[in-house]
Amino acid sequence: MTDGVMGPIDQQSETEEPSTSWLDERIGSRSIIGTIFLRKIPKVNWLFTLGSATLFVVANQFVTGILLTVYYVPSVQDAYDTVTYIDSSLPLGWLVRGLHHWGATAMVVLVVLHMLRIIYHGAYKYPREVTWLTGVALLLLTFMFGFTGYLLPWDQKAYWATTVGTRILDVVPFVGDWLLRAARGGEELSAVTLSRFFGIHVWILPAITLLLVAVHMFLVVRIGISAPPKKED
Amino acid sequence: MADSISRRKFLSRATLAIGGVIVAGWAVPAVAYILGPARRSDRQREWRPLGSPDKVEVGTPTLFKTRIERTTGWVTQEEEVSVYVFTADGRNFTGLSNICTHLGCRVRWVDNEDVFFCPCHNATFANDGRVASGPPPRPLDTFEIMTEGGQLLVNVEV
Repeated sequence: MTDGVMGPIDQQSETEEPSTSWLDERIGSRSIIGTIFLRKIPKVNWLFTLGSATLFVVANQFVTGILLTVYYVPSVQDAYDTVTYIDSSLPLGWLVRGLHHWGATAMVVLVVLHMLRIIYHGAYKYPREVTWLTGVALLLLTFMFGFTGYLLPWDQKAYWATTVGTRILDVVPFVGDWLLRAARGGEELSAVTLSRFFGIHVWILPAITLLLVAVHMFLVVRIGISAPPKKED
Repeated sequence: MADSISRRKFLSRATLAIGGVIVAGWAVPAVAYILGPARRSDRQREWRPLGSPDKVEVGTPTLFKTRIERTTGWVTQEEEVSVYVFTADGRNFTGLSNICTHLGCRVRWVDNEDVFFCPCHNATFANDGRVASGPPPRPLDTFEIMTEGGQLLVNVEV
């Protein structure tokens, strides 16, 4: 193999490991791994890692989020107490919650930077419009994750941030009042709001996200990534 | 160079190694976090008043109850602790737990049969807590009891 440059992917010439591993013989794992990880890519720079970085933080949010639900109870009596319990009584509970908390902030930063890279390079253009559209949907999902998750600790900051945040919907002409009640599940922020924000945050949004991430990743592998535009482009 | 490895092999191994470290970074806290509440907690012991020793007939276990405040996880609530007080001579008192030593069901004293009866597997215990019949592996657990100022006091975990 030539040094430095990734050679063309040729399954037959891969001789580093025996080509008839147990798994490969049954499910063709080498070609699957090859298709996903040994793609030919144009000359790129570190900005092209922002999507992977986002994917990594998504994984972190799923792992730590699932762990948090082991003890978190989404009721007005228990929410704050269970968060305190996770933070101060459980071994490394502070780390699990801290990873989820800071991961949420990192998500927003990373998806925005990732999107800026795509815009800057014009990578949303033909033939990658579908990838772009799923990406935009994922951006909105990230914001909804952030908004619903912010309420869950049920402390003063959570309560008032959500009071103010949902109140913004009220300024929408004609349907504002209805939107406000739809978001809160009633006139005021209540036990109903907490419960449905929890349900949305841990079931509905993750389900849609998994689906869209899968489509997004499939398209990246299928179409390949775009090269940075040249002068004449 | 015979012992050199290819650039590709080095990179893929380095990626796997770093990935392994990251996965361990999730897995180790996850295990500690999930198993944390399984640690033995050291509870305080306290003497609690039960009532007058005059209520206890010689040879017949008498049921007393006391309330303790107990914190489990993030919930602190009052719990009732039942103690059967037994005396063979009217001077020395023993506290018997009402929890069956087989699988933890609650036993009750049946007056006309002179036994503690456990409804789960028909076990019986004698008035001093010894196993009379059935599957329990050991006598009923005991509480320390003392009398002070005309009161029975029981030593319980709080």
